[in-house]
Amino acid sequence: MDLFANLAHGFSVALTFNNLLFCLIGCLIGTAIGVLPGIGPVATISLLLPITFGQPATTAIIMLAGIYYGAQYGGSTTAILLNLPGEVSSVVTTLEGYKMARRGRAGAALTVAALGSFFAGTVATVVVAASGPLLTQVALSFGPADYFSLMFLGLVISAVLAQGSVVKSIGMVVLGVSMGMVGTDVQTGQQRFTFGIPELSDGVGFVSMAMGMFGIAEIILNLERPEARSVMSGKVGSLMMTREEFRRAVPSVLRGTLVGTFLGILPGGGAALSSFGSYMMERKVSKGRHEFGTGAIEGVAGPESANNAASQTSFIPLLTLGIPANAVMALMVGALIIQGIQPGPRMVEAQPDLFWGLIASMWVGNLMLLVINLPMIGMWVKLLSVPYRFMYPSIMIFCAIGVYSLQNNVFDVYQTVVFGIFGYLCSKLRLEAAPMLIGFVLGPMMEEHLRRAMLLSRGDPMVFVERPISATMLAIAAIALGAMLMPNLRKGKDAALQEGG
Amino acid sequence: MKINTKDLISAALLIGFAVVGLWLNMDHTLGTARRMGPGYMPMLAFWILLGLGAIVLLLSLFNGPDPIPMWTGPEIGFLLAGAVGGTAAGLVAAGMPGWVGAGWNPLGIGLFVGCMIVSVVKSWRPLFLISAAFTLFGLLLEPLGLMVAIATSVVLSAFADETHKPVGVLGLVAFLCALCWAVFIYELDIRVPVWPVF
Repeated sequence: MDLFANLAHGFSVALTFNNLLFCLIGCLIGTAIGVLPGIGPVATISLLLPITFGQPATTAIIMLAGIYYGAQYGGSTTAILLNLPGEVSSVVTTLEGYKMARRGRAGAALTVAALGSFFAGTVATVVVAASGPLLTQVALSFGPADYFSLMFLGLVISAVLAQGSVVKSIGMVVLGVSMGMVGTDVQTGQQRFTFGIPELSDGVGFVSMAMGMFGIAEIILNLERPEARSVMSGKVGSLMMTREEFRRAVPSVLRGTLVGTFLGILPGGGAALSSFGSYMMERKVSKGRHEFGTGAIEGVAGPESANNAASQTSFIPLLTLGIPANAVMALMVGALIIQGIQPGPRMVEAQPDLFWGLIASMWVGNLMLLVINLPMIGMWVKLLSVPYRFMYPSIMIFCAIGVYSLQNNVFDVYQTVVFGIFGYLCSKLRLEAAPMLIGFVLGPMMEEHLRRAMLLSRGDPMVFVERPISATMLAIAAIALGAMLMPNLRKGKDAALQEGG
Repeated sequence: MKINTKDLISAALLIGFAVVGLWLNMDHTLGTARRMGPGYMPMLAFWILLGLGAIVLLLSLFNGPDPIPMWTGPEIGFLLAGAVGGTAAGLVAAGMPGWVGAGWNPLGIGLFVGCMIVSVVKSWRPLFLISAAFTLFGLLLEPLGLMVAIATSVVLSAFADETHKPVGVLGLVAFLCALCWAVFIYELDIRVPVWPVF
């Protein structure tokens, strides 16, 4: 089988000392930020992007990926012990997990979260490995028009699934696309919207934007609200699950893995969406549904498996089509481009080390995380006693050095300040930053494909509906938009996201 | 009428961006749909943005109320003073000879002065003191080196949180200096002055 040969090759890449080391570093950092509320994977990855430049592309991506799925493991710890979501994707874990902790079953909840995540991670790794090359074959038959429509679909879905008003989110997407237009026009070399500033001829700084809107703005928002950390509820207790708990958790883990794997692939999906989807499902179908609200183990097992599966399968659109499904993946695109790799269907063949190495490292990383999280849980809990007043200056300094070291230019530092203030303003106005970031990354690619498609069709826009693939994408986008216009569905989504954070 | 203030301001923001974008885009050749010029895609994007802004504006008139807390007199006053003071400081700095007027320093000085003026008001402090500290880092990094930049901007940012104690801040500065030296200078070897050069 090709798959096994490829996976073997992947493991030979992932198991080199350097890659193992950075995978471990990524997982450790991921767990740490997962445990700590107030700093998420988007901010952390943008913060660490500059640090990875010195490393080979494969190593860099392995580490950044480790942060993302590591955060899913760490997030559950805070959710269960402190009733605080360490990450957005752990919001639903607080509902049942904290109740379990109050009943003295914190250890069991932590164990099922970690084991469920590990199982889901393993399945997701296999799914990515198996579907990657298949989808790549499909993607190679895509024309420019199909690409354009696919990206369009991705943007629409990311806006539809964002929190709050859909129109505002689409507005943010388009704003991001417009900001992507700043810089030198690829085909004519003309400077657009640069105001004669040489630094802008390469476009608005991607890292500056991500750091400002997610890192700096987050610090400011956290400083504004007083620290609300409840005291840990009792002891962690025994990590062992009872046989009864195990028996109840297994089907939930299986269902959660399925939901997460599927929702992760969806453009605009990701860890947060899938943990919520799984929670809803468990509440409806699991055997212990009447116990929900009093600490049902299904409510921990399902969502925690789902978010970990999704955090890995959301790499599929990126690795096969070059299209980021969420803000974290948009950062990965940024990281790849800075490394000189154009993400897209040719990556599997052109960068086998990166593709298979990353997949193998996901499984290795999951194994590491299991060890990092379960026996060493006490250490991570201690991390929570670090007050925020010591954390925010550190985050700020790391941001500042990182952004400066991109091009050794202070202009980038000032750019970040401006984006920080803008990000603060946006969050006060409930304008979502994540769709904007995705729009910003996809904008220039969309322009290129639009131009190419129109050139090939001799200026006939009908090409987008005549090609079956493209037409299908546009139809799905239209349905998604139309569905959100229906008041019932929209209310359902709002209620869902409200509860899901 | 139930006006949604947040949406109203959001709409103004989106429409503002679109109008300015369309105006700036007049410099670029549009080309035809078959051969798109550099101005074609921006034109599409900004018109869509304008349309979306208009929809948000219309909706905002009915889907409220979602008021934002009113700013107090000092908050508005110092925000305006900061904007004016910052711009003025930047312009003055741009005209000065030597380090002050060189490169991006006027921009940094303008941002810093503006943010510092606004952070006189306590409720603005988290936002503008952090911004000021971040800018200060950029200003000091090249002339005075990494260590001085870290120390000053950490101390400045500490004022944004009232629970800080002097000893804690000193410890934090020492810790961050050591950590950043180990990570960025020793391990990653980034090109940045570490100590002040005289």
